[in-house]
Formats: sequence, structure tokens, C-alpha cells
Amino acid sequence: MDAFTISLWILRIAFVVFIYLFFFFIVRALWRDLRTTVAGAGRALARLVVVASPEGRPQPGASIPLDAVNTIGRDVNNSIIIDDSFASSEHAVLTFRGRAWFVEDRGSTNGTWLNGQRVESYLPLGYGDELQVGQVRMRLERAQV
Amino acid sequence: MAVVARSLNRAGIRPRLRPREMLLLAAAAVALVAGWASLNSYRAGRLELGDLTLLTIYLAAIASVHAAFVITGRRMDQVLLPAVTMLGGLSLLLMERLPQTLAAQSFMGTLLPLAPLQLLWLVLSFALLGTIAIVVRNDGWLRRYKYSWAVLGIAMLLLVFLFGDVIGGQRLTLRIGPLAGQPSELLKVILVVFLAGYLAENRALLTGVSTRIGPIKLPPLPYLLPMVVMWGLALAIVIVQRDLGAALLFFLVFLAMLYVATQRASYVVLGVLLFVAGGLVLYELFPHVRVRVDIWLDPFADPLGAGYQIIRALFAFGRGGVLGTGLGAGLPQVGGTPSIPAIHTDFVFAALAEELGMLGGLAILGLYAVIAERGFRIAATAADDYRALLATGLTLVIVIQAAIIIGGNLRLVPLTGITLPLVSYGGSSLLVNAIVVGMLLALSDRGVEPPPLPGTRRVWLRPLRRAEQA
Repeated sequence: MDAFTISLWILRIAFVVFIYLFFFFIVRALWRDLRTTVAGAGRALARLVVVASPEGRPQPGASIPLDAVNTIGRDVNNSIIIDDSFASSEHAVLTFRGRAWFVEDRGSTNGTWLNGQRVESYLPLGYGDELQVGQVRMRLERAQV
Repeated sequence: MAVVARSLNRAGIRPRLRPREMLLLAAAAVALVAGWASLNSYRAGRLELGDLTLLTIYLAAIASVHAAFVITGRRMDQVLLPAVTMLGGLSLLLMERLPQTLAAQSFMGTLLPLAPLQLLWLVLSFALLGTIAIVVRNDGWLRRYKYSWAVLGIAMLLLVFLFGDVIGGQRLTLRIGPLAGQPSELLKVILVVFLAGYLAENRALLTGVSTRIGPIKLPPLPYLLPMVVMWGLALAIVIVQRDLGAALLFFLVFLAMLYVATQRASYVVLGVLLFVAGGLVLYELFPHVRVRVDIWLDPFADPLGAGYQIIRALFAFGRGGVLGTGLGAGLPQVGGTPSIPAIHTDFVFAALAEELGMLGGLAILGLYAVIAERGFRIAATAADDYRALLATGLTLVIVIQAAIIIGGNLRLVPLTGITLPLVSYGGSSLLVNAIVVGMLLALSDRGVEPPPLPGTRRVWLRPLRRAEQA
């Protein structure tokens, strides 16, 4: 085999390789696109896991998916209903703003507690923090993938 | 510069970069230049790039389409254009490689051989693609006049029936003055436009059940009528026009869109049964159908006659192997005649698979898969049913056509004479597929007008609906 045949062979393989390189770029673009869509589509932002609930509504151990805005209280119009004798009908609101979660007390009788500290107006909270509404204690956790 | 930007702004145009598209186009250009070098080095017997004029013109046309998208600031899909660019580029490479006398046509006084002619069509197609993608901002003109479009389509078909030229036993070509075209190419787009409108409007009715034949649940029978008409149309195309490929394409697109709109498998089963029944009858009655099926089942029964094309194509696939013979090194012609008749139209896939091998063939299949993914994604994120069905149908037209002809080349399905979209030689085919891709791009634009509010037209449907609820 002379040099020309070899270089011709290399050139021809290079063509196929370049086609596949182009193809790889496309598939990478599609994959990224698909992943961002899957991540953004209808998935809960986080969840609240019920640690303790003496009256059983909600059940201890229950996992509550969270939206960007979640109202908490005894009234049935709340997105998270805590049917506890020590909870107010409009008790608190849990929101996701930018990159952080915030909890705000809505003038409840017995107060909203974050890690044992009373929430006066609003407080930021992170994953693993414990929230108490009435007698119900809940932990903020990441959404399950 | 600032002056230009200000005047653009005043006209409501905000340029927006499309980095992903730019990267992909650059990658495609690199691959095509490598292919060009490979072809010309083989021909010249030494390493050289060869005359890059044709490729440069092609890439410049693509670049100007990209630039037009950037300047007008359209937020459209960024993957479709590169995928189509690659297919068109492979087409140009192949046409440059094939014997130039396969199709020569004089254009404005100069005789253009195969490759420059294909380049001319490609450039016109991409210009059309870009224009449609940029200019089309609402779909009312398609949505509102669906029956008018259907009538236009059928009128075109009738014109071909009556005045068409017979070329190669098929009555496909319509000649008006110096222009010749194949209206059945455009007909497939019109079909999709009509079906999308009809199905989006009657979707709820079609999913309802009012008639039962044994275990098969059917919608109210009057709404099945268009489907029967479609089926009849497909048969008519086979009988009068002798165009098996177009008939198969229409019917498959129709069934797939029906399934997408209603999600009812029973329609598909029913359609396939009708298709098989129709096929059997046609096989018995019409010799040209019988020949097609017979050479598919056993091409070696008549290796120098009816089976010649298919056998040559199979040999070409075999010669190509995994890596291919390399561009220019295949055997598309023996002596002066091409080894596979219609190698530049129906058998482009065989030609490319011979010279680029199985790897090249798979890459081409992959490109169609990419177009399918993008198209269905555009459909999935569409603002309403009509746009979703339109995008689905347009995607299916390209993908199913590719599947039919590639399957035919590989002897997986009976060979039917249709083009490989965006690769085969031919003006009508290229222009129509460019329209399809252009409309897909326009549909993917996030800045287009929202669809009109659902109206309360079609009052004559009311009594039926009420009867159904009672």
C-alpha cells in the first residue's frame, strides 16, 4: 500500500467520523433539551414529610408534594390541610422564591415553629428543617427523582 | 452598526443569536468538506480538495438562511436546519459523484448537468424554507380553509389524471408551459393540512362510540365517511396514476394521524384490514401491482428484467459492507450506463450505502430519526390540537416517505417509486419537503400568534351531539 492509498483511506474514514461527530452534537443537543423538559415538567419542587401527628390527620410518615406556593391550615381550601385541634384555619404559607424556601405565619393562634423557633413574620428554611404547625411536625425534603 | 440596530429595533426586529444551530451547521460543513475532499482525491489520484464552487454556494445559501433567522430574531427549533443541511449536502455530494448525464436540463439558456441542477433546486428549496419559517406567523389561512385546500388537492389530482404526461409508466408529471412538476408531492402536504383541520375539529366525536360491530367500537358513522373517501383516494391513485408509493404514503400518514388524534387502536386495526383487503384486490386485478409484489418476494426470478433494479441495489449494499467503498469508488455505472436505473431518484440510499457503507446508511437513518424527534417534540409543545396534529402530520410525511423508500431499497417492503426526502434528485420533491420543514420551523417558533379561540361554528353538528348524550 502506498502513501496515497492510505491517506485516501484515512480521508474517507474521516468523512464518516465527521458525520458521526455532527450526529453526536445533535444527539447531545436533543438529550439536553429532553432532560431540561423532563426536569421542568409537572414535577414537585420538594416535599414535606410528616414526622409527628398525634391526631393522625395527616398520617405520620406521609409525604406531601410541594408547589411553588403552598398554604397550610385546617380549612379545606388550603393546599396542605392540617386537621389538628391546635392549628388555625389559615395557619401559614410555604413558598419557593428564586432558589430558597420561605415560611410565613398568617396570624395563627398557636404560631408556626421552625426548628423550635417561632416564626414571627417569615423565615427562610432549607432542606432537613423541621416545621411545626399545631401539634404536627413536618420536615422539608428534596423531591424524589 | 448602531444605526442599523436602531432601525431594526424600530421595525420591531430584535436579532437573537442561535448558537446551537451555528455549532451544528459548522460541524455539518466540516463533514461535507471532508466528503468533498475524499471524492475529489479519489478521482484525481492525489490528495486535493477539488473545485469547491458548488459546495461553497450550497453552504453560503445555508449560512444566509441561518443569518436571516438570527437577524429576524426567531425563537425556532435549532436542530432541524442542521439536520436538513446534512441531508441536502449528502445529496449534493452524491449528485456530483454520479454520472452528470443522468439528468441534464437547460435552464435560462445554459445546459446544467446533474450536480449544478440539484444545487439550483437545493438553493431554491432552502430559500423557500427560510421564507416560510420567517414569514408564516399565524395558521388561520390553513386552519380556516381546510375544505378549500382539500378541493384544491383533488383538483390537482384530477388535472394530472387528465393532462399528465406518462413517464416510465406512471402518470405523475404535469407540464404547464416550461414548468414541469409532480403535484402528488404537494398533495401530501395538502392532505396533512386537511386532516389536521378535520381531526382537530371532530376529535371528540371520533373518540365517541355510537356503533358497535361485534367487539369493534366505531364512532358515529357519518364521521367515518372522510376516512372511506381517503381510502378510495389512495386506491384511485394506485389505479389511475400507478403511483404505489404515494398511495402507501397517503394511507399510512392518514392512519397515523387518525391514531394520534383519537388514540384508538381499533381504527388502526380497521385501517390495516382495509389496506390488506384493498391490496389483495389490487394484486389480483392490476398487473403493475402484481409485478411489484412478485419482484419483492423473489427478485431473482427475473434477474435481467423486472428484478434487475432490486438485485443491483442488493449487490450495491453488499459491496458497501460496513465502512463502504469510499466516495467515488463504488460502481454506480458500468460502461456508460448506471448500474441501478433511477439511482439518482429512487435508489439514492443504495448508492450512498455502497460508498459510505452501513455506517453512512445508519447515519442517514439517524438524521431522519432526529427530524422525527424534533417534529414530534414541536407537536407535543404546540399550543392547541390543530397545531399539534399539523406538526405530527408534517413530520410523518417526511419520515414515513423515507421509511417506505429505504425499506424498498433494502427489499424489506415492495419497492415503490418515491423519492428519499431531501436527498433524491428532483425539484418538486425538494421544494415540497422544504415547505414541510419550513412549516415545522414556523410552528416551533415561540413568538407566533396564539391560536384563535375555539369558535362555535358547524351548527349542523349539534343535533347529532345531543342525540349522543341522551
